[in-house]
Amino acid sequence: MKTIYFILLISFAGLSAKAQSIAVSKNASISFFSSTVVEDIEGKSNTANSALDLKTGNIIFKVMNTSFQFKKKLMQEHFNENYMESNTYPFSEFKGKIIDPVDFNKDGNYTLSVEGTLNIHGVTKTCQSKVNLVIDKGIISAKSVFRIKIADYKIKVPSIVFKNVAESVEVRVSAVYQPKTI
Amino acid sequence: MRLTPLYLKILLLSLLATITLSSFGQDDLEKALLTAPSPGHQKVTATFKSTKLINGHTNETIYKNELDFKVDHRFGDIAGSQGGIKQFFGLDNSTDIRIGFEYGISDRLSIGLARAKGATNVQQLYEGSIKYRLLEQTTDDYIPVALTLFGSNTIAAVSASEDPASAAAYHSFKDRMNYVSQLIIARKFTEGISFTLTPSYIHRNLTAFRDQNDLFALGAGARAKISKRMAVVVDYFIPFRNSADKAYLEGINGTKFYNPLGVGLEMETGGHIFHLNFTNAAAIEEMQFIPQTTSSWLKGQYRWGFSISRRFSFNKK
Repeated sequence: MKTIYFILLISFAGLSAKAQSIAVSKNASISFFSSTVVEDIEGKSNTANSALDLKTGNIIFKVMNTSFQFKKKLMQEHFNENYMESNTYPFSEFKGKIIDPVDFNKDGNYTLSVEGTLNIHGVTKTCQSKVNLVIDKGIISAKSVFRIKIADYKIKVPSIVFKNVAESVEVRVSAVYQPKTI
Repeated sequence: MRLTPLYLKILLLSLLATITLSSFGQDDLEKALLTAPSPGHQKVTATFKSTKLINGHTNETIYKNELDFKVDHRFGDIAGSQGGIKQFFGLDNSTDIRIGFEYGISDRLSIGLARAKGATNVQQLYEGSIKYRLLEQTTDDYIPVALTLFGSNTIAAVSASEDPASAAAYHSFKDRMNYVSQLIIARKFTEGISFTLTPSYIHRNLTAFRDQNDLFALGAGARAKISKRMAVVVDYFIPFRNSADKAYLEGINGTKFYNPLGVGLEMETGGHIFHLNFTNAAAIEEMQFIPQTTSSWLKGQYRWGFSISRRFSFNKK
């Protein structure tokens, strides 16, 4: 039995040591803008989740599609029902890695490259962007802006509203990470 | 513990070792740390696309600060004695036309104003209505059905009839009032299939001689999507008539009452909703098509109908 306790102790120690190198954001914000001559559309979610591995630079964003809020409620309904099909594809997700080396323990302002895969509407595509990191007294804030083509993700826009929905939308992501403590 | 066999110990050890190992797998750990956002009791949205199916209401209301403008039209009989090629399959006549506005006070409460021609001799109708979402269905079936209350008051502006047995033999303003109360029970079964059940109560302050002032009815409706933006819609109403009064009315002038049935095609294009439908009901207002449908599908007395609705938003956030 002593052996078991020992192993138990070791394994928990292993877990918690690992956990402290992970920073988490539970209220990351993700917004997107579609702008055409006819109409501007904006959707914003403030309840996206993100985790950042401080050792490897691995990063994940996950957002529930129904959490996007729109100025026009009917647009929100259409977004979920016709475009994102949130019932079938409830989440959008980014899994990637900050490829430039960075020391997360050092305060500063960094612009780094991030690449990974973006999963929207059941379609996974590789994606690359710049991320702006601000580290201030151990608190990490990340911001990124990139564009995606909605056709890449098999989101179809009917010809009748073709002029209302832009072919590519600008996505803005921002997160403030709290170091994870158990 | 003294009795624990050795192999159980080994099993336990290897299990713990696996946990420790897996915790070092990068993505898996990150995933595990991200407690998936719990959806909780999420509301089911878009049970129906429009506030009405064909004749009857759905559980849907208009969102806050949005305005719905709707035009309904019913043509004359396609076939039967009043239809056929001479009347161009009903297109020469219009039995009823309604123009209505609905506005969302909140996401749950909307109010409406409408003007309809009126299909019987009770005509020039002004309708004020109120619709309130009492309960909304949730995706986890914590609330399995949506409940919406609908109430309307319709005033007939037509000049009073000389015939004392007429439904338009008004003596006072009060006689021109008609009320409809409905409880709309709705459920979205799948992404593409939704149903309604609508117990209704209609009160008309003045009716034709021996017609009923108070009438209960039950409505049912369904919508089935056939493509992303197109659906088949159907609805049906059964009025519970007093048989003695019904027999009297049918005996005196030979008019028979039929249950209104509508079938149609719904198209939605983001902001616009079009309905193309066939129904035996000549009237559009609830206080008229539920108690006063005297045309029959089997006699060819069904008609083309359409509705067009357009949504405007006044949200400036």
